[in-house]
Amino acid sequence: MKILIIEDELEIAANIKGYFKPNGIQCETSGTYKDALDKINNYDYDCVLLDLMLPDGDGFDILKELKKRNKTEGVIIISAKETLDTRIEGFNLGADDYLTKPFHLSELLVRIQALIRRKNFKGNNNVVFNEIVIDILSKTVTVNNTKLDITKKEIDLLLFLIGNENKVLSKGAIAEHLSGDMADMLDNHDFVYAHIKNLKKKLSHAGSGDYIKTIYGLGYKWDNE
Amino acid sequence: MNKKLLNKTTTTFLIFSVFVLLISVPVFYYITERLYIEETDETLALHRDEFLKNKLPKFDAKDIALWNKYNRNVQIFPKHIVTKDSLFSKVYFDELENENEPYRELNTPILIKGQPYTYVGRTNLIEKEDLIISIAMLFLVVIIILLLGILIITKISSRKLWKPFYDTLDQIQGFEIDKNKKPHFMDTDVEEFNRLNKSLNRLIEKNTDIYNNQREFVENAAHELQTPLALFQTKIDTLFQLDVTKDQSQVLSSLNKDVSRLNRLNKNLLLLSKIENGNYPDKEPIIINEYLKKHLEFFTEQAKAKNLNIVIEYTEKLKIEGNPSLTEVLINNLFLNAIRHNNKNGKIIITITSDSITFLNTGQETALIVDKLFNRFSKSNPSSQGNGLGMAIIKKITEISHWKISYAFDNNLHCFTVKF
Repeated sequence: MKILIIEDELEIAANIKGYFKPNGIQCETSGTYKDALDKINNYDYDCVLLDLMLPDGDGFDILKELKKRNKTEGVIIISAKETLDTRIEGFNLGADDYLTKPFHLSELLVRIQALIRRKNFKGNNNVVFNEIVIDILSKTVTVNNTKLDITKKEIDLLLFLIGNENKVLSKGAIAEHLSGDMADMLDNHDFVYAHIKNLKKKLSHAGSGDYIKTIYGLGYKWDNE
Repeated sequence: MNKKLLNKTTTTFLIFSVFVLLISVPVFYYITERLYIEETDETLALHRDEFLKNKLPKFDAKDIALWNKYNRNVQIFPKHIVTKDSLFSKVYFDELENENEPYRELNTPILIKGQPYTYVGRTNLIEKEDLIISIAMLFLVVIIILLLGILIITKISSRKLWKPFYDTLDQIQGFEIDKNKKPHFMDTDVEEFNRLNKSLNRLIEKNTDIYNNQREFVENAAHELQTPLALFQTKIDTLFQLDVTKDQSQVLSSLNKDVSRLNRLNKNLLLLSKIENGNYPDKEPIIINEYLKKHLEFFTEQAKAKNLNIVIEYTEKLKIEGNPSLTEVLINNLFLNAIRHNNKNGKIIITITSDSITFLNTGQETALIVDKLFNRFSKSNPSSQGNGLGMAIIKKITEISHWKISYAFDNNLHCFTVKF
């Protein structure tokens, strides 16, 4: 998978690139409007991460350009701007998702995966990890063909963990992912523990491997080793 | 007690007029009486002089009886009663009117054919009581006319005169610096009012500028902070993936907590300034009961760690008009506050009526200080993880939506009510 990061804060771009690399995502970065346009015109990407405020141009113009050229890249806007208007304008111009800075890299990663899944949708929409199969549409999880009795939130958590396989995730990052809009008001992330515990129990009950590891002091990790 | 300006001037006028009139009644009476008596005396003297000059030389002793018979006010008495002219007041009984009448009398010793006689001239005076009553009545009428006149004139002319002033007063009273509505003072040709209006305009303009700058500053600052915070966050996420020692992981973990706290603080500051800047104008009907039901699972989950007992009394359906985002923030904040500031094994009771929602929760056993409760960064419990903006956001949302938030402490329960 190949994505283009259009972001004038080079360090942020570098961090994204470094985080995604072990998960098989190739990243190219572009710090200016002009350079970004060149890259878009010459190459195809699976996904474009777009910062709206560029030193030599407006991110929205890149969106328009993509649309004009009938490019099929999925676009996720990553911006410090957080108003309803820019959000709506972004979606109207063809963006697929909008992530406000600051964000967790883990969150960005699963958003990209979800976007790619939607783009490549061909009849079925399953996420498969060894013996675990998650059907996104019907919201079901099977382990070795046994259906699990699992809540929506647990599926969400499972997708988040698998999407970030081999990454150490802080309780905060998981909590923010699970609580969505409410995250800004939450100062207690203890509820994550209960969800992890339940998910672990259900998976092992169904005979799945013990993938969820607790990393001392830091958080959790979906370990595939 | 406060009086209106117009009434105040009128009252002063009235008191002064009544005072002057009351004083002037005796003075007027005294002067009138004096003038009257003086005039009467002069007339008496004139009559006497005329008598002495024209009548006396032809007068005979035998004429006296006839004279006295037909003249009521000039009588000739035998002998000298007085040795020289004397003027005095005297009361005679009037048989016709059957009452005492005051008279002014002039006695002059005269000689008729060498015999001593006394000329007695007198004039009936107006009775004192009559005079006093007349004057008092006159003055009463004058007072009434004057008072009515003053009242009507001040009511009409002053009202017209002070109209620009009252207009200005009403406008400033309705002025709120955070609402983008500047007052428009009416034109006036009175210099003082013009000056007042100009000064107020200048004051308001200056303060609005300062206020707007401040507001923009907060929003810009919060916005500008997003990028370094994003850098901070992505770096910590990257660090999480490295092999770190136990000690390092502890530092890293607390760093992560700090940055997420910083994020929340910044997001809430941004939210607050966005609410203040009127970025949430759209309104639509919202049914609170449905919102609560939909998100109850989330809140219950949050309350699990403290083992809280949550009771929701849906007495009635609460349908309101409001901005959906802000309404959600309001309910979420209230609910999360009730969880955050609760005791272990405590309880939360939510009551919904047709026009209000009330959150009752257990918690610290003393009432919160209402004055500070809704201020920014005022934390009742300094050790709590809250950023001190939750209540300020709640307050701002209710203000901007014209709702009312109130706090009470009753039966050891903290009670927050929003009236829609």
